[in-house]
Amino acid sequence: MSSASLFSVSDTIAAWLLAHIAYVFPPPVKGWLTSGDVVLGLTALIFSAILLGASMINVIVLIWWERKLLGRFMDRRGAMHVGFAGLLQNFADGLKLFRKDTVRPTQADELGFWLSPTAYLVTSLVIFAILPISTGWNGGSLPLTLLLALVIFSFAPLFIFLGAWASNNKYALIGGMRSAAQMIAYEVPILLAVVAVVVLAGSFDLTTIVMEQRNYWFWAPLFLALIVFLTGMLAEMERIPFDLPEAEAELVEGWNTEYGGMLFAFFMLADYVRYLVGSILVVLLFLGGWTLPSYVPSVLTSFPLAGIVWFMVKVYLVFGVFVWVRASLPRMRTDQLLRLGWMRMVPLALLSVILAALVVAAHCLPVLGCVPSMGG
Amino acid sequence: MWVNMGPQHPMTHGLWNLRVRIEGEIIKDVDPEMGFLHRGIEKISEDRHYNEIITLMDRTCYVAGLSWEHLFIIAAEEALHIVPPERAEYIRVLSAELQRIGSHLMWYAAFVQDLGLTTPFLYGMRDRDLILDLFQTYTGGRLTYEYMRVGGVRNDLPLGFTARCRQVVDWLMDRFVEYDRLCLSSTIFRERCDGLGLLSAEDAIAYGVTGPMLRSAGSRRDLRKDRPYSVYGQLQFDVATANTADVTGRYLVRMEEMRQAVKIIRQCLDWLDDNPGPVMASQLPRWLGAPYAPVGNEAYLLKRNYPTGLGFSMVEEPHGEAGAYIVNDGGEHPYRVKFRSPVLINIWAAKRYLPGYRVADIPPIMGSVDVCVGECDR
Amino acid sequence: MKRDELAASLTARFGDRILGVDAFPGLLGRVRFDSTIALELFRAFRDDLKFVHLTMVGATDWVDHREVFYVLWSDADLVYVLLSTNLPPDAPTIASAVPIWPSANAHEREAWDLVGVRFEGHPDLRRIFMPEGYAYHPLLRSFKIHEPEDLEVKVRSD
Repeated sequence: MSSASLFSVSDTIAAWLLAHIAYVFPPPVKGWLTSGDVVLGLTALIFSAILLGASMINVIVLIWWERKLLGRFMDRRGAMHVGFAGLLQNFADGLKLFRKDTVRPTQADELGFWLSPTAYLVTSLVIFAILPISTGWNGGSLPLTLLLALVIFSFAPLFIFLGAWASNNKYALIGGMRSAAQMIAYEVPILLAVVAVVVLAGSFDLTTIVMEQRNYWFWAPLFLALIVFLTGMLAEMERIPFDLPEAEAELVEGWNTEYGGMLFAFFMLADYVRYLVGSILVVLLFLGGWTLPSYVPSVLTSFPLAGIVWFMVKVYLVFGVFVWVRASLPRMRTDQLLRLGWMRMVPLALLSVILAALVVAAHCLPVLGCVPSMGG
Repeated sequence: MWVNMGPQHPMTHGLWNLRVRIEGEIIKDVDPEMGFLHRGIEKISEDRHYNEIITLMDRTCYVAGLSWEHLFIIAAEEALHIVPPERAEYIRVLSAELQRIGSHLMWYAAFVQDLGLTTPFLYGMRDRDLILDLFQTYTGGRLTYEYMRVGGVRNDLPLGFTARCRQVVDWLMDRFVEYDRLCLSSTIFRERCDGLGLLSAEDAIAYGVTGPMLRSAGSRRDLRKDRPYSVYGQLQFDVATANTADVTGRYLVRMEEMRQAVKIIRQCLDWLDDNPGPVMASQLPRWLGAPYAPVGNEAYLLKRNYPTGLGFSMVEEPHGEAGAYIVNDGGEHPYRVKFRSPVLINIWAAKRYLPGYRVADIPPIMGSVDVCVGECDR
Repeated sequence: MKRDELAASLTARFGDRILGVDAFPGLLGRVRFDSTIALELFRAFRDDLKFVHLTMVGATDWVDHREVFYVLWSDADLVYVLLSTNLPPDAPTIASAVPIWPSANAHEREAWDLVGVRFEGHPDLRRIFMPEGYAYHPLLRSFKIHEPEDLEVKVRSD
């Protein structure tokens, strides 16, 4: 694995910048500017800026990827005209939304109406600060990264419902209520599927979970959990077939009916941020993160930043599966969705927890050789 | 809580308002409101020469223009005592059946879009374009055709049309299989559609519901068989029926109707290949061609010899049974034109088939009605 | 069923309130009746003659009178029949067919809206195409297309 890390890169940039800026100042200021605290502060700023920029660019490329893929599924080409193969189309769309007037309905609650999209976008983006992308390429490294990510991920219904309530619209209200019900219902199977992974990896730390997959990726023993997790993620992301909170056929746009212009762009960006986070979580938990199987020739894994490249390839492929589902399935109904969640997904997830425990027990059988790193 | 679904709402596929009283997610009462697209076609027709009304007929239902032209032409020829040549009748039937496929494909696209299926939406629109291309080759228009005339049709089919048309319908027959695979084999599709919007044949007849909605309840009522107009009596085809009376049944009926339409089209093409001839009646009254008096020669009007009569026609339009009633009291304009729109009645019967289901069921149920507001409001 | 059979059976039952059964191209015939027997005639057509489909209800403004016509279809005989009656232009009122055929509801609302015929006993005789509170019935011959509109739009409060 490469020795560079996101922190060291930001640190280098910060130190270099400060050294050049300090050059023009008299000695006392110069000394303070090059002191460790200031460098650390600037490092943190640069660190966040790189994270934000990288994730936003990825989100926009993700939208492009979805549009192109969806176009191919539908026997057409997708965006073609702005930039190479339509790569810049989404920037143009964003620019269009940016210069549009943001209209607030007169009867809407002002604070909630403005607060909800901002908070939704910010809480979605925060998750990137703790997601590891490759060895060393992560922000905070806490013992409970996975749990924290899931907790932040499940903030969404709160802000969605806030926006739906504040916009004072019947469609928005119905959509908001559906959204809350659906997200809360699918938290349970998702967490149970995650428990299976945690049992197998013996840790809540995402980096450790990826490292534990060096022998085999977890999708093989935990196939059931993968299915449950993918389904649950579809529901959490509110994508077809579970996009009933914004089912445009009956609820116009669901909970963001009243939002336009940049506020709508916030919602949409936050949605795609969540799609990205969901795909990243699938890759981290089940598909070996940035690692490749050991039989892959080393020339494929030894070039600089190989981990990040393979990680992103996996993430985009997983998102491709989500797009495929969207292209081929119709939307479900609320009652069918909840029935699927409680009657099918929860038992399957419980079963996968038991399977994970059996796999861990099998590791301690003498014939297979006990794996020492179990239980962290 | 009364919710206004419309007039600007994705479910409506047009411009009308479905007022729904809901308790939780359950529909308790509905009240369809129409008239947002009322253009007064019946009133305008009173001021128009017969061949000019055909222009309006394209605008009544903008996805089945030729079917409505056919409807009006039959009634107008009856009111004016004109008999068209047989070749024109075959071309009209060919057009009406191609239009039926086009309209059903449009319905298919809109219906699956309501269910959240985006891919078949584009497949339906793509294949409908082939039909529109065919129309373009012989009528010159893709949406508003102005093709049929009192006494025949405007022009004969172009050279090579029948071969091209056969290619298209052969290709479409394969696509119908693909559509069924995309929809009927999907569990979620079946869960969303089975047993929804139930309307028994007795209720359907009492509420005036016609077309695929009635036939999906097991009724074999099809005007093309029961009261053969034009040359339908000489063509072989089956009436598409289903017996589930729900949304899936309507889907099956429309799919089968498209296959039967292909069957009719092939017979028409064979006949047209073998029987060249004129496509306009030869003995047309002069005033049909020159409706207005030449300037400075208004006395010309007095020399005309207008017939009087009544015209009535009913055709099996893609959405249901459409009717036209024309009173011709002598003159170049009809005195009164009255149209029966199947969609108006089918929508209005929502009072019967919608309550009791959920809000999320409204799009598939109303989608299965095949709403075309142009002909509903006229 | 033939037209003279129909005429005979109707005259036997309703006497001179049936004003005539004329020929009509493509239909079984046109039954002209007195508007006072409307409901009984409709019931006779639906129950005894099995005309279960009500296809069309419309009205024509003939300036000196208003004609209301009904088109019925019989599943047994596979034939249409047209019933027609004349109403005075100052009080064009006739019994509603909704109790016999529920499908008459929308047709009659349309006839009221466009031609101004009142249907007694209709459960919900509102305008259907024109806005509530519109002052004219557009399909009347007295309606001028270019007349300035004094249209007041009502806002419903429920």
